[in-house]
Amino acid sequence: MECLRTRVRFPPPPPFFYKVELIDKIMSRFIKIFATIAISLILVSAQGFPLKGAQAAAKTIPVIKVTVEDSSQASVVRISGSSNLAYNLKKSSDSLIITFRALSGLKLEKSTFTSQIIKSIDLAKSPEAYLLIIKTGSPDFSFTTSARKNPFELTLNIKLKNVAAAREGQPAETVAKTSPSRNGESSSGASSPPADRVSQEVISGHPRQKDVKTIVIDPGHGGIETGAKGNYGTLEKDVTLAVAKKLKERIEGELKYRVVMTRDSDVVVALDRRAAVANNNKADVFISIHANGSRRTNARGSETYFLSLNATDEEARRLAYFENNSGELENRLGEQDFDDLKLILWDMAQSAYIKQSSLLAEFVQNQLNQFLSTQNRGIKQAPFKVLTGVACPAILVEVAFITNPEEEKKLQSEDFQTQVAEAIYRGLSGYFDLYEKP
Amino acid sequence: MRNNKHKKKKLRIMLILLVILIILILIFLFGHRKEKIKHEGRPAGTEQVAGRIAEIKMKPVTLFFLSESDGLLHAEERQIPESDLNGEARAVVEELIKGPQTGLMAVIPENTRLRQLFVTADGLAYVDLSRQVTEANFYGSSGEMAVVYSIVDSLTYNFKSIKKVSLLVEGNERETLGGHVDLSNPFVPDYSLIAR
Repeated sequence: MECLRTRVRFPPPPPFFYKVELIDKIMSRFIKIFATIAISLILVSAQGFPLKGAQAAAKTIPVIKVTVEDSSQASVVRISGSSNLAYNLKKSSDSLIITFRALSGLKLEKSTFTSQIIKSIDLAKSPEAYLLIIKTGSPDFSFTTSARKNPFELTLNIKLKNVAAAREGQPAETVAKTSPSRNGESSSGASSPPADRVSQEVISGHPRQKDVKTIVIDPGHGGIETGAKGNYGTLEKDVTLAVAKKLKERIEGELKYRVVMTRDSDVVVALDRRAAVANNNKADVFISIHANGSRRTNARGSETYFLSLNATDEEARRLAYFENNSGELENRLGEQDFDDLKLILWDMAQSAYIKQSSLLAEFVQNQLNQFLSTQNRGIKQAPFKVLTGVACPAILVEVAFITNPEEEKKLQSEDFQTQVAEAIYRGLSGYFDLYEKP
Repeated sequence: MRNNKHKKKKLRIMLILLVILIILILIFLFGHRKEKIKHEGRPAGTEQVAGRIAEIKMKPVTLFFLSESDGLLHAEERQIPESDLNGEARAVVEELIKGPQTGLMAVIPENTRLRQLFVTADGLAYVDLSRQVTEANFYGSSGEMAVVYSIVDSLTYNFKSIKKVSLLVEGNERETLGGHVDLSNPFVPDYSLIAR
C-alpha cells in the first residue's frame, strides 16, 4: 500500500482551477487523489484474480468418440478425438487402459454397442490423467493398434486368444468333470495366469468354465513368516499348509470345483499377492486358513472372520488422496499416478462382498462347531490385510489356538486336520448350494 | 449559478468516490486482519506451557489390558502427570507397555519401546514402536488384535481429540505386526473388544 501511494504522480492542476474559490480547489484536488487511489486499488485487486475463467473458456474440452464393431473373430474399437491427444496404452488383466494426460477435461461420447469381446468402455479420472478403460471378458486377449494424428484416431483390434477353446469348452463340460486326463491337458492352456503376475499358485482340477466354481485356498504364513508358535514348537505355517492340502484333496475328490492354492510349499507369499491369486483366477470364494495365537495360554476355540470395513474412513482416505494430488497436476508424468489409482480400487475390492462373506463365514463356522470338539468362538470381523484386496466372498478361518498346549496337540494330529478340512468343505458346499438352488 | 451547479456535481462525484474508497479500504484491512490472526496464534500456546511448570498435577487415565479369564480387554485406572496432549498420550502408551498392576495381562510384547508419539491437528495419533513389537510367539489373530486395540482404544478412550490411531514400527509404515491385522490404514476405536 505504502509504495503504491508514493508511485502515484499528481499532474499540476490545469489553469482552470486557479480561478475558482479555495474550497473548490481543495475539493477537486481531493477528487483527483481519491480517484487515482481508487483506480490503483481496483487495478491491484484485479491483479489478485488471474483470469482463470477466461482461460478455461478459451480452451474447449476435448471430446473422444468411441465406436465398437464386431467381426466374427475380433472387435474393432475406434477412438477418435476432436484435437490431438497424447496417450499411453496398457494392458491390465482383462482390460485395456488408455491414459490421456495433462488435460483440463475430457468428454466421452460412445454409441451403444453389443460385442462378444468387449464388456464395457468407461472413462475414469485420476488426479493426473483420464483413463479410458476397455473391459473384455477375459484376460486372454491380444490386440493390435493403429493410430493417426490430426485428427486423432486410435483403432484397436482386439481378439480373444481362446475363442475357439471357449466355444468347444461348453459342450465338453460333462466330459471334463469325469475324465481327469482331459482336465490336465486343457487346464494348462486355459487357466495360465497373466504374464505380469507370475506367482507360485498351483492350479489343478478343471479347466475354467462358467459353471465350475473356483475356490482359492490360502494357507496362512509361510517361509520365514512362521506365524504363531506353540509351546511344543508347532508352527502355524505348517499347520495351515497341512489343513489346506487336506481341504484341497477333499474338494477335488468331489470333482465339482476347481482349486487354486496361494502356496503349496513352505515359502513366503506377500499378503497382497495372495489376494491377487484369487482375483487373477476369478475366484468364487477365498478361504484363508490360520491357527490362532494369544498371550493367554488358556485361550481356546475356533472362529471365522470376515473383513471389517470402516466405510467412512475409506471414503475419507480416497478423498484426501485426490485433494492432496490435484495441486501438482500438469507437469508430472509417469506411471506412478496410474498405479496409485489402481491401488485405491484394489483396496476397496472386498467391500463389495462383505455380505456374502459374512454368509460364507456363517456356513463354515456352523460346520466347524459340528465337526470339531473345539469351543465355538463365533463369527467375527477384523481388518485383516489378506482379505482387503480380494474381489469375491472371502473369509479367514482361525482353527483352534496353537498357543494352547492342549489344542496345539490337536492341531498336530492328522485326524484333527482332516476333520477341519471336512468341516470347511461342508460349509463351502452349503454356501454354494444356497446359490445354486433355482 | 454555474459555479454552484459545478460544485454540486463535484460534491456528488466526490461522495461516490469516497464510498468506493472506503469499501475498498475496508476490504483490504479485513483481508490483512485475517492473516494477522493466523500469525498471532503461535505465541499463545507457549504461554500455556510456561504456566504448567509451577505445579505437577496428576490425572487419572483408563488403560485396557487383557483378561486371563475371558480374553477381552479390561479397564485399569492409573495416574499420569498432567501434560500437553502428546505428553499425556505418550504416558498412556508407556504405561500400557509397563503392563498391568492388577490381575490382568500385559498385551504388548516385552522389551517394546515407544519411540515416538505425536497427534496431528485433525486427531490422528501416530504411535511409533520399536521392532520388538513384531517379535512375539503369540501373534495369531487374537494376539495381534489385542495389541492393536489395547493401544487404539486406550488412546481414543482417554483423549477426545484423538479420533484415530496409526501404528508405525521403527519409524516406518508396516503392513501388519504378524501377518494379520492391516496397519496401513489408521484405526478407529473398536470398543467391542472391551468387557462391559
